[in-house]
Amino acid sequence: MGADIATVPEVDESRLREVLEYYWAKDWTDGLPVVPVTASYLEEFLATVARDPEEVLFTIHHLNRSLTVRLAAINAALAGCKPEYFPVVVAAWEAIAKEPHPARGIWQSTTGTAPFLVVNGPIRERLGINSQGNIFGAGFRANATIGRAIRLGCINVFGLQAHKLDQATQGTPAKYSAVIGENEEQSPWPPLHTEYGFDAADDVVTAYVIRSVVHIEARHAMTPQQLALDLADTIRRTGSLIHEYTSALLVLVPEHAALFAEAGWSKDDLREFVFRHATRRREELEAVGKDAVSHKTRWRLPKDHPDSMPDSASSSADPATVHVLSHPTSVQIVVAGANNAGVSAVVEVFTLNPPRPLPFSYSRIQASA
Amino acid sequence: MAALEALLDPTGSENGAQDSTLSPRPASLRGLTVGLLDNTKPNATLLLEEIGRELAERYGIAATRLYTKDYFGTPVKPELLEQIVDEVDVVVTAVGDCGSCSAATVADGILFERRGIPAAAITSDSFLPSGRAMAKVQGFPGFDFTAVQHPMASLDAAEVRERALAVLPEIVRILGVES
Repeated sequence: MGADIATVPEVDESRLREVLEYYWAKDWTDGLPVVPVTASYLEEFLATVARDPEEVLFTIHHLNRSLTVRLAAINAALAGCKPEYFPVVVAAWEAIAKEPHPARGIWQSTTGTAPFLVVNGPIRERLGINSQGNIFGAGFRANATIGRAIRLGCINVFGLQAHKLDQATQGTPAKYSAVIGENEEQSPWPPLHTEYGFDAADDVVTAYVIRSVVHIEARHAMTPQQLALDLADTIRRTGSLIHEYTSALLVLVPEHAALFAEAGWSKDDLREFVFRHATRRREELEAVGKDAVSHKTRWRLPKDHPDSMPDSASSSADPATVHVLSHPTSVQIVVAGANNAGVSAVVEVFTLNPPRPLPFSYSRIQASA
Repeated sequence: MAALEALLDPTGSENGAQDSTLSPRPASLRGLTVGLLDNTKPNATLLLEEIGRELAERYGIAATRLYTKDYFGTPVKPELLEQIVDEVDVVVTAVGDCGSCSAATVADGILFERRGIPAAAITSDSFLPSGRAMAKVQGFPGFDFTAVQHPMASLDAAEVRERALAVLPEIVRILGVES
């Protein structure tokens, strides 16, 4: 339904608020107002995909709950999505379902992680998915509501309500919504989804489970080494180390990507460099009480903790140097943001034991014919 | 005026089956084998061993058997559940001191009760709401479990022993035995 902005609508204010208050009273929101959803509006969403409404997209077995296409659509509509966004939401749920952590209770965890989605392909343009200025900020309906569709599904379908099944100690602002497009047009490298064999013309969602988004101020970096060391320093910060290893998604602005590309660095060159330099001296870990790991969960803790045992690096050829990344591919790279300053970001990707070589999952976006 | 339509329920959680029947309680713990289910969280093993020792000294249990989950965040796997059900008389499971593992520990307790094995599930007291929410999801609202004082992960051995002593009366109460 296109909005008529020539005429100011007249509404029954008390009835409108009554409807919104109903959703709050039912705890069917993330705290913000939602869009009321009826059967006829639901049909508009279901019509955008060639899927059985009862098809299950994601199950969390230990919670006895499954998210069907129909429930994904109701929650996308509630979130304020336009019906044409729904194929992206379906692909996002499929990608999330392939991630190991969400089905294993990570969204009940004190850790407080959030789903983080990157969209590639021409659909960014069609739906107005922002990939340039203010990518992590507010102001873009597609980014805001596609991510929110996932959050509302978590709350409503899986019962992941804060203070109840969702026990996040602090959580992250990304839990409202975290969706970016890749700025393919201003990237010197091939788009992210072509790394997994897709054609640049395909539309793909990549899903990560993230902790923090940490900014990198590097407006004056003159060499790729300087910038890469700045990135590596943030990845290896001790505060983020929970398990033995971590992973990161580098969200580089066009200016930073150009600094690497113009010096002849491919994404793999950058990965390799960051991997080699993302290390800590053992005494630095000792100083912050993260020089050992727990026996079974392999969380970093002090070596005088009753549950401590030596970490993997202790039995390596160089026990004084501790790598915080397990594979060069623990570093993923995407280009997004405005081409107006040297301000990039490290998105800290949650990493279980043992770490996966590729810390993400993806799914192709498919609309109905 | 357009036709009126009802708002849709976005949860998909029609009232599921409820089963809140506890397994039969023993008259006493004397001579019983107690399963200790370790969820791998730091200090869980130590806490369970201390509890086992006290149950032996004060209540005359015959033996303890320590079992280890492969992952703390989800309920015990069916094979391990079967093995424990076959080998012990009652179960103590710990320690649900995190978001996912508090819920999983309570789910474990419910799984044992439904297989006829009395179970005392132990979370930490920060996670009582998570445990209660899980009991509801499992169709056993009001399931009785207990909690040690938070935190657990950062304690030394002497402090873990204090937690074990403090929670012991609750474990015995849940297992249905007079102190």
